[in-house]
Amino acid sequence: MTKNHTMLSALLVPMVTIIPLSAVLFDVEFDYNLRMVLLGASILGLVTGVLGSFAVLRRQSLLGDTLSHAALPGVVIAFMLMGRELGWLLIGAGIAGWLGTVLMNMIIRTTRIKQDAALGIVLAVFFGTGMALLSYSQGHEDASRAGLDKFIFGQAAAIVERDVLMVSGVAIVVLLIIGLFWKEFKLLTFDSEFASTNGFPVWFLDLFLSTLIVVSIVLGLQLAGVILMVGMLIAPGVAARQWTNNLSSMVILSGLFGAAAGASGAVFSAAAEGLPTGPLIIVAASLIVIVSLLFAPERGLIWRWWNQRQDQQQFLSESLLADIYRLAEKHGSTTYLVPHGMLTHLHGRAARKVLRELAAHRLLEKQATGWRLTAQGVIQAEKVERNRQLWKLYRLYRDEFEAPPVVENFQQDIREVLPREVVTRLERLLA
Amino acid sequence: MNDTRHAIEVNDLTVAYHSKPVLWDVDIDVPEGVLMAIVGPNGAGKSTLIKAILGLIPKASGDVKIYGKSYTQARHLVGYVPQRGSVDWDFPTSVLDVVMMGLYYQLGWVRRPGRREREMAMEALEHVGIADLAHRQISQLSGGQQQRTFLARALVQDAQIYFMDEPFAAVDAITEKAIVALLQELRSRQKTVIVVHHDLQTVEEYFDWVTLLNVEVTASGATKEVFTEDNLRRTYGGRINTLTRIAG
Amino acid sequence: MERLLIDLLLNFMSAEQLYDALDDPRMVAILIGAMVAVSGALLGTFLLLRHMALTSDAISHTVLLGIVVAFIVMVYGLDQEADISSPWLIVGAALSGVLTVYLTELIFRSGLVKEDAALGLAFPLLFAIAIILISRYADDIHLDEDTVMVGEIGVAWANANEHCFANCEEVVITPDHPKAETGRQCINCKPSGPYSPRDPEAIFKEICSNCGTYPASIAYTRGYIDTSPQIVLWPRAITTMGVITLVNALFVLLLYKELKLATFDAGLAAALGFRPGLLHYALMALVSVTAVGAFDAVGAVLVVAFFIVPAATAYLLTDRLWRMLVLSSFIGALAAYTGYDLARGDFLGIYNLDKLLVFLDKHVLDLGGNTTWNVHIASAMVMMTGFFFLLAWVVSPRYGLVSNTIRRMVQRRRFREQLLLMHIHNHENTENANRELALDTLHMHLNWSENHLKRMVARLRSRNLVRVQNNLVIMTDRGERLLQKIMQERISA
Repeated sequence: MTKNHTMLSALLVPMVTIIPLSAVLFDVEFDYNLRMVLLGASILGLVTGVLGSFAVLRRQSLLGDTLSHAALPGVVIAFMLMGRELGWLLIGAGIAGWLGTVLMNMIIRTTRIKQDAALGIVLAVFFGTGMALLSYSQGHEDASRAGLDKFIFGQAAAIVERDVLMVSGVAIVVLLIIGLFWKEFKLLTFDSEFASTNGFPVWFLDLFLSTLIVVSIVLGLQLAGVILMVGMLIAPGVAARQWTNNLSSMVILSGLFGAAAGASGAVFSAAAEGLPTGPLIIVAASLIVIVSLLFAPERGLIWRWWNQRQDQQQFLSESLLADIYRLAEKHGSTTYLVPHGMLTHLHGRAARKVLRELAAHRLLEKQATGWRLTAQGVIQAEKVERNRQLWKLYRLYRDEFEAPPVVENFQQDIREVLPREVVTRLERLLA
Repeated sequence: MNDTRHAIEVNDLTVAYHSKPVLWDVDIDVPEGVLMAIVGPNGAGKSTLIKAILGLIPKASGDVKIYGKSYTQARHLVGYVPQRGSVDWDFPTSVLDVVMMGLYYQLGWVRRPGRREREMAMEALEHVGIADLAHRQISQLSGGQQQRTFLARALVQDAQIYFMDEPFAAVDAITEKAIVALLQELRSRQKTVIVVHHDLQTVEEYFDWVTLLNVEVTASGATKEVFTEDNLRRTYGGRINTLTRIAG
Repeated sequence: MERLLIDLLLNFMSAEQLYDALDDPRMVAILIGAMVAVSGALLGTFLLLRHMALTSDAISHTVLLGIVVAFIVMVYGLDQEADISSPWLIVGAALSGVLTVYLTELIFRSGLVKEDAALGLAFPLLFAIAIILISRYADDIHLDEDTVMVGEIGVAWANANEHCFANCEEVVITPDHPKAETGRQCINCKPSGPYSPRDPEAIFKEICSNCGTYPASIAYTRGYIDTSPQIVLWPRAITTMGVITLVNALFVLLLYKELKLATFDAGLAAALGFRPGLLHYALMALVSVTAVGAFDAVGAVLVVAFFIVPAATAYLLTDRLWRMLVLSSFIGALAAYTGYDLARGDFLGIYNLDKLLVFLDKHVLDLGGNTTWNVHIASAMVMMTGFFFLLAWVVSPRYGLVSNTIRRMVQRRRFREQLLLMHIHNHENTENANRELALDTLHMHLNWSENHLKRMVARLRSRNLVRVQNNLVIMTDRGERLLQKIMQERISA
């Protein structure tokens, strides 16, 4: 079943990449500037998508928000000391973000303040300090420093080849690290307690992952800005989660979604002159999320809605059959005529349509005053009744029989869901 | 069927979570003045049943009558003791303050509790035996003391029907006895008490009425008649074997 | 509204005093900062206790969308001048805040996304839409996301309405007014006419060059009247923030009981019919309104600090809700007050940051001679909230690091004392007492270091709980009684 989904999501990727490509139709000129932005945004989207899927699964989505704000003082100090050199800015941001993470963890550990407030405190105070430092640094009448606020609020158009090279270099390093520590990160994400009892240095891995997130955030600042970075981090992960239950395919898919969102943002920004790239990336990523939430197989809302409707219909028709059967049995004859009014009273007006459908399937016969089971209907009703009984027994005995946990669903033939030997034991119990 | 007044009537109640039924076609009548336990395995929907009766979660179908009226009309008749774990005990407030919350309904919107309310709350605290802790911060209470605080809060409500969600969960033996004494006293005052309970061994001792629940109601009635091994088996299935062995 | 407030104030001071007070940027900035702090702290306390601190962060971002949409409605829908102080802004902000929360809950309720991720999806999207709208309509609505996000409290005093109280009459200068400047002038000469003054056709008339109507303030500066009009320049932000502070205070005061119950036990609140959902959205709407009222003073991002940090600080200091409300308001206001001075380099009046900068510039790094610490005021206020939090975190008598460490140490010591007493109690008067209780081997049985045991025994001896006899440690009656008491307490707890 998971195989199927991976295939489905593999199909999805070309669909998603078509979005940016289709922008070619808008007559966009792929000049140097656009090529740089396109490359930078895609690579960045890839990295944040990959890292973000871990953040989403670990319920640390908002850590990205805090870290992107907390990085500011580091960025400003690095900027003041070393100038607009991405490498140094990364180091500065890394140190500040790292400090913020440590402080946040200390607050949670040593006080009764909960995680949300600890995140908020670090976010606000670090950002305030950063803004103060920024306004101090702007006291310099140094032209090259004026660009810093653009750096914070994001200005994709300013990306040059050097930046792209830098981003690519860091991206490769980050992806390599994820690959190397795959097993550890997987364990950390899935069950950090288990990881720590097995001797993995959880706090270190935790900090390590946070540091990687900080790095990707700082890479992205220039593109999307402090405030929108959290969206770039979370949206691809959430979207990818809908399509698969498997961590590796989720991470890959998330990276691809991120890249697609980045590319779409870049192209649309070029197509619709004047619209900023960063926000367009976020809108693209959000669209991917919306599509995923709606259409993903099994989890998606539309899928679920349709299933529910089907279930309800089937449930009603099965209940009607069973009711008629039981009433008939009570009267000693399986072909007893059940008055029409009685059924609509029990099941409401919706019953009428279903009754007609049952008649169309030749399970019921309509008479002037009511309904009667056909021979075929009797067999069907017995089957339904039996299935329901088996389900009820399953609920009671699943622990004893060590039966696999499945969602109870009367409308499903229990023999399709449970292993044969369990069903046999249940049937024996029923007899 | 008989002439006892029904404190609670639940008709065809179904609650679903994402189309998975949590409660299925529940039909129970609870006569006035009984001490009723709701028992069933984990995930049987015991708390859900209470919450659905109190209108805290939406019903997929069915209705609930309290003394023949809908819940919104009968609010003043109902006291509620939620699970201890459902609130944040780090909340900055005192024991007395928590108990006074039980009087908020009588006060209505905007009006503040005053001396009268304070005295009533103190009385209730004395009743449950922790009056000396009245001004203590609630995070400094032990599990049993927290539960007593919640009971005192329900007592000041002076309700006709009490719903208690796992009041015996993780409390010490002394508190458990105190709670039982309190429940008996409530019954002697013709109150109806519904308790979500998980300890099968004490059901017969503590309660005179019981509802066995596992998504569907398997049995509901006087403990003597209903609390049979057969019914338990129909509720707990295979899991009952170990349980009955203990209960002997 | 403003007039009413001013009239009220004038009962206590003269108009000149008020004018002087409001002419002081420091005073105005601190006042506005304090109002932002108080209104933030009142709501922030409840946000913190509801574990929704980060919702304030999300909302303070998304109010930008409300502002932009309100601007667009004003400019394109109502054909008005876009105006920062328009009530439409408040409506837009409240709606955008509620929309943020609603969208988050909608995503969360689908059951497909965790709560934190739902928030992290909703607010970047709304914020991104806001920025796209700004850049699309930038030419018409004159709004810049940088200013909205950052704000400048220092200039709030300059953005003021004029109110006049005495000698306010307009001065009308007519040609016969003593101050009128008149003279004969040619009315059909060049450049308006064809003639030069010397031409015989030139017509001369008596002309008044400064005739007209003048507002009192201008008339005074020009010297047309001798008595100065009594004018008060009232910064608009004071009214906005004042009203918001008042509304928040009323909300918290009137619904204190309901908010407390809904925050502590939403289930009971719902069961009692207090509509916790409604309260929730009212709270969120007020958070949005506060954020939008504060944005041109402190900036949307920094207002988050006033929501969260003082409330968290107070949370470490007290165990009562109303005290927490008072304390967080006070701490916030104090941070605003001290923050203004910090922005000018003065840290609590005890240290000047310029000294640090001079030192750094000289000995450590090259600051390019920029040794004046003169920074964004709201940011400095936020730094002070952070400082006060740090202070409370370390030294709070109840929950501070220091007192916690001391308490833990005391507890550990008391536990060890009890352990030792217990050990003596268990082995006293038994056969192997000689082995178990010998002063020089006792530490091995308890697995303690020898020194530690010596210290413990000395301490217990000094309190007359044990004594040493024939190299054996033996309990005194007093020690026995204490142990009994401890055991009893153990059982009842």
